[in-house]
Amino acid sequence: MLRIENLHKSFGPLKVLDGITTEIQQGEVVAILGPSGSGKSTFLRCMNLLEQPTQGHIFFKDIDITGPKCEILKIRSNIVMVFQHFNLFPHMTVLQNVTYAPIKVKGLSKEQATAIGVDLLQKVGLAEKADVYPSRLSGGQKQRVAIARALAMQPDMVLFDEPTSALDPEMVKEVLEVMQDLARSGMTMAIVTHEMGFAREVGSRILFLNEGKLAEDTTPEAFFANPQCDRAKIFLEKMLK
Amino acid sequence: MVRLFKFWGRSPRYPGNALAKRPGGQVWRRFWALFLSVLCAIGVNAALVAHLATPGTAQDIPKTLTMGTSADYKPFEFHDTSSGEDKIVGYDIDIANRIAKDLGFELKIQDMDFNGLIPALQSKRVDFVMAGMTPTPERKKSIDFSEVYYSAQNTIVAAKDSNLTTVESLKGKTVGAQLGSLQQEEAEKIPGAKVTTLNRVSDLVQELKSGRIDAAIIEDTIAKPYISIYPDLQFTVVPNKEGGYAIAFPKGSTLVPAFNRVIGAMKQDGTLDRLAKTWFEDLGKPAESGFQRIAPRIPYILGGILVTLGFTFAALIFGLILAIVLAIFKISTVKPLRWFANAYTSVFRGIPLIVTLTLIYFATPQLTGYKIDAFQAGVITFALNSAAYVSETLRAGIMAVDKGQREAAIALGVPYPTMMQDIILPQAFKNILPALVNEFINLLKDSALVSTIGAADLLRRATIVGAETYLYFEPLIIVAIVYYLMVVGLTVAASVLERRLHKSA
Repeated sequence: MLRIENLHKSFGPLKVLDGITTEIQQGEVVAILGPSGSGKSTFLRCMNLLEQPTQGHIFFKDIDITGPKCEILKIRSNIVMVFQHFNLFPHMTVLQNVTYAPIKVKGLSKEQATAIGVDLLQKVGLAEKADVYPSRLSGGQKQRVAIARALAMQPDMVLFDEPTSALDPEMVKEVLEVMQDLARSGMTMAIVTHEMGFAREVGSRILFLNEGKLAEDTTPEAFFANPQCDRAKIFLEKMLK
Repeated sequence: MVRLFKFWGRSPRYPGNALAKRPGGQVWRRFWALFLSVLCAIGVNAALVAHLATPGTAQDIPKTLTMGTSADYKPFEFHDTSSGEDKIVGYDIDIANRIAKDLGFELKIQDMDFNGLIPALQSKRVDFVMAGMTPTPERKKSIDFSEVYYSAQNTIVAAKDSNLTTVESLKGKTVGAQLGSLQQEEAEKIPGAKVTTLNRVSDLVQELKSGRIDAAIIEDTIAKPYISIYPDLQFTVVPNKEGGYAIAFPKGSTLVPAFNRVIGAMKQDGTLDRLAKTWFEDLGKPAESGFQRIAPRIPYILGGILVTLGFTFAALIFGLILAIVLAIFKISTVKPLRWFANAYTSVFRGIPLIVTLTLIYFATPQLTGYKIDAFQAGVITFALNSAAYVSETLRAGIMAVDKGQREAAIALGVPYPTMMQDIILPQAFKNILPALVNEFINLLKDSALVSTIGAADLLRRATIVGAETYLYFEPLIIVAIVYYLMVVGLTVAASVLERRLHKSA
């Protein structure tokens, strides 16, 4: 579904991604791990071109989305993103947050979008909050709304950028459960996370980044039982303590 | 050809332009009038001339008297079209009618140029002339005059205890006079006096009351109402041999004694005073307090609220639209757009509002041929100016919107204009709402500047009423209160709005 070839990204003199090549298949749940500063968030943000790669190509369903003629807005509505800080629109109700993009971007009617939105809010367990403004929600609830908002676009792939990092510990679970449900439904997902347990249980594949390079590309079982590179060993020791 | 006043003709309730200053272009007409008078003298009216010139019995005197006048001298003689038909009326006309009635004549009025009056008398085409004519020695050489029926004199208006009652006492003092008037010339003749000129007599009186000038030279009929309103002022008539108006007759006319008799009677029975009141002193009763006199005019002043609000809202809306465009230019990645928007703000912040307003109002017709009216000029000026300030505020408001909002919208595939409109600008406006309310309040108050180009807003109406009633402070206090209440109302409305917006975030 998403093929990445020799991806480089620099911010001025700072080299963040240094030649990453990999491919994500339909239905895969890819957990992207790595020490801080390893470039995992930048890697994820390149996948929907929130960051423009300095060099290299990304193919989505064999279309070169880094090419000059690509309709980037259309790609983005197919590869949606869930942010660490939720980024809900504060001046819209929960339901409006969810239905806004389907109406404005995909051109759905208000009724269609509302039907989808209500259904999704039910799935994330927030149907009763439909008419509430985001400021009245807890962090976990906000993130679940953000997931519903992303899914309302009926995307091919969802990118998660540290979706639980900004949450209080007791709220992490409710978000992870929603993500787990989503994984089970067969959605293609790429997740930057520090939740090792979640990566191991829900992930179908682990990408371990170190200093802008893809250090390991393996199954969760192999990664957690027997990490290959030294950096991954140190990382796991610290994380699993 | 000396008439007593030489005003600009700005206040039609008083004696208008000096006829001595009539445009030179009328020389031809003057010649033509003279030519016609000569023709008349020889021809049509020869019989009448013969009658008048020949002493005889009462039966010989014709039943009609023809009066020559120049009906462009309100309130002495002027055309009144308010009834729908054209009628020559005025102080002189009323006197003439009374005289004709007393002497048993029908009165016929012949309107002509002032310059043609003396030739008409000399040719005996008219029996007499009443046209606010001053009996000067030069005129007396060619025509006869009755007694003075109206004496208009210059007065020295000063504070009651000032002792400034003679021309001599004004030496070294600051003396005010209306700009361009005969009084200004008189004031300038006073030895050792410093002359200050102002546009309006009402301004002079205020300057006098506030002590910025020591005395003012004002014509007596005009000075009188002020003295009755302000008891702390006094006026002294300056002796003037030439003062006053008299009725003019052809040399040797037999009508003069009869006319003088009637004028004397009218002076005796108070008719002249009564007529003077009717025509010159439509000025409100001094017994009434200031606010009593203002009261009936308050609805007129309050009508200015709509004008003021109209200006403010129109300017606010157009200004806001322009400000949004400019703010988007300012955050744009395209350099020329940023450059343009910043230059725009710099220019409009750097020019005083009243300069912009005057330029737009007066320069637009000359540059484009479009006769822009005061309302349009005001709205354009305030919108352009407000956009400069609001765009800067709005830019800051946009920058203050969380970066994540933009990313979230982008990640959902929302196009830039839609994102701006639905996501960024609503939040930016919420950020800058207090600043916007401030801008609105400033706009509301600044809109008073449009009164300088003649738009009938609150302030302008207060000034008009002030000039009409000889009162300065009362109308201004009324508009001050109205402005204040509007601003308070606006502030309350804004805080309600702000609270409601806060609920949603």
